[in-house]
Amino acid sequence: MSLLEYQYFPVTRPGKGAGGKTGSWRVFKPVVNYNKCIGCKACFMFCPESTIIPSDGKVRVDYEYCKGCGVCANVCPVKAIEMVSET
Amino acid sequence: MIRKIISGNEAVALAVKLARVGVTGIYPITPQTTIIEKLAEMKASGEINTEIVRVESEHSAMAATFGAALAGIRSFTATASQGLLYMHEMIWWVAGSRTPVVMVVGTRAVGAPWNIWNEHTDFTSERDSGWLMAFASNPQEALDLTLQAFRISEDERVFLPMMVGMDGFILSHTKTNVIIPDQEDVDEYLPPRRQPYVIDPEDPVGMGNIFPPEEYMKLRQSIDLSIKNSEDVIRELGMEYNKKLNVLGDYSTLNVTYKLDDADYAVVVMGAWAGDTMEAIDKLRERGVKIGMLRIRYLRPWSEKEIRDALKDKKAVLVLDRSISMGRGGPLYVEIKSTISDIVPSIKGVVSGLGGVSVSKSDLLYLFEKFLQGIREDVLWYYPKEVGKIELRTPRDIE
Ligand code: SF4
Ligand code: SF4
Repeated sequence: MSLLEYQYFPVTRPGKGAGGKTGSWRVFKPVVNYNKCIGCKACFMFCPESTIIPSDGKVRVDYEYCKGCGVCANVCPVKAIEMVSET
Repeated sequence: MIRKIISGNEAVALAVKLARVGVTGIYPITPQTTIIEKLAEMKASGEINTEIVRVESEHSAMAATFGAALAGIRSFTATASQGLLYMHEMIWWVAGSRTPVVMVVGTRAVGAPWNIWNEHTDFTSERDSGWLMAFASNPQEALDLTLQAFRISEDERVFLPMMVGMDGFILSHTKTNVIIPDQEDVDEYLPPRRQPYVIDPEDPVGMGNIFPPEEYMKLRQSIDLSIKNSEDVIRELGMEYNKKLNVLGDYSTLNVTYKLDDADYAVVVMGAWAGDTMEAIDKLRERGVKIGMLRIRYLRPWSEKEIRDALKDKKAVLVLDRSISMGRGGPLYVEIKSTISDIVPSIKGVVSGLGGVSVSKSDLLYLFEKFLQGIREDVLWYYPKEVGKIELRTPRDIE
């Protein structure tokens, strides 16, 4: 069906849709210190946005979707995650 | 094609049947009830196989209709007054999700206090929701516009819901001659439903999820653009309707004029009292007064082009409103004024007929004569002769 240029529809696909992107409003972002991280994946389990991605025994953060809530930093048993101000 | 003496509500029910509507969400409210009664009757006798969903409120009626429409089924509902207000939230959800749905509103006053009689305020108060809004002036038009509503709202250039207004009781319950098109002709005019997306377990989509500010604003603008662009679509599909189905009336324009071309003065109306207005105009024409009428058939889209063209060289314009935007006069008056204030020197408004107050042909004639002599107020609250005017009361007086 050919849709005209001005047509725009409020549809999202399950998963990380464009609708879930954080945009520019996050204040703090979590930064993982790989020297400290023991790869326990507690942050991965607790992140409410599923934006912690386990890789190579450690973890990485998807900043496009991370909301900066700080849950990950709080649950890390070895304090390997620091919340860094973005402003 | 057959000719039948039926009421506006029956005409709408027949249009729903002819459109092969799949699901109807129903909840009864005066004066719309006989539409759904008629549909239920047709369902019981096997005349139609529409799924009739009986719900507990108008909010649910719109929600059920919306759900069915999202699944790709042509769906319909009808309401009035408090029911329309109760639907208000769902009305915005349907418009915001760009889903084609058709609804008929048997217009009626809104309480408090309780009043079941005719008025347009329920209808006009939905004008910012993102629905296309047409208003019929007789049962024939109610049928025609309902059929067209399905075609227009399902057009890919539009993809928005559409409501058709009709004066409660005056049209909904009064029987008149209506021409009912044949099923084959309607089938030819109304192809199978199309819509931008459907809910489908094989290919799931999320609807009405949270939208960040930028996306939300883009969506709102796209609805605004669709409404503006629907103007040409309505004319084009109206022309097709004229050719394939229509025997009376003309749907090649959004709004309708009567003796307006050579007129010095114009009256703007919407709905059933256009008939009396035309008769009053004929009377004045006999006396040599050059006066004509513009009947608003589409409140949304609002055809600025047609309205400016129709009223451009008039000396004065009078707008009749059967509804009131508190503190600003009638909604039509406000819209007309913003459309033509730079080209017409004098624009006056009249608010009358609220809550079922009957405005007769002689009342209109009296009003038009008054208008020709020059009404002083910008917006006049007109009470027909048998209705006493408002008197100021203190709470102590009411015992
Ligand atoms: S800050 Fe919050 S959203 Fe971002 S990664 Fe940590 S837990 Fe997830
Ligand atoms: S909780 Fe801390 S230690 Fe565990 S994976 Fe996350 S960052 Fe590494």
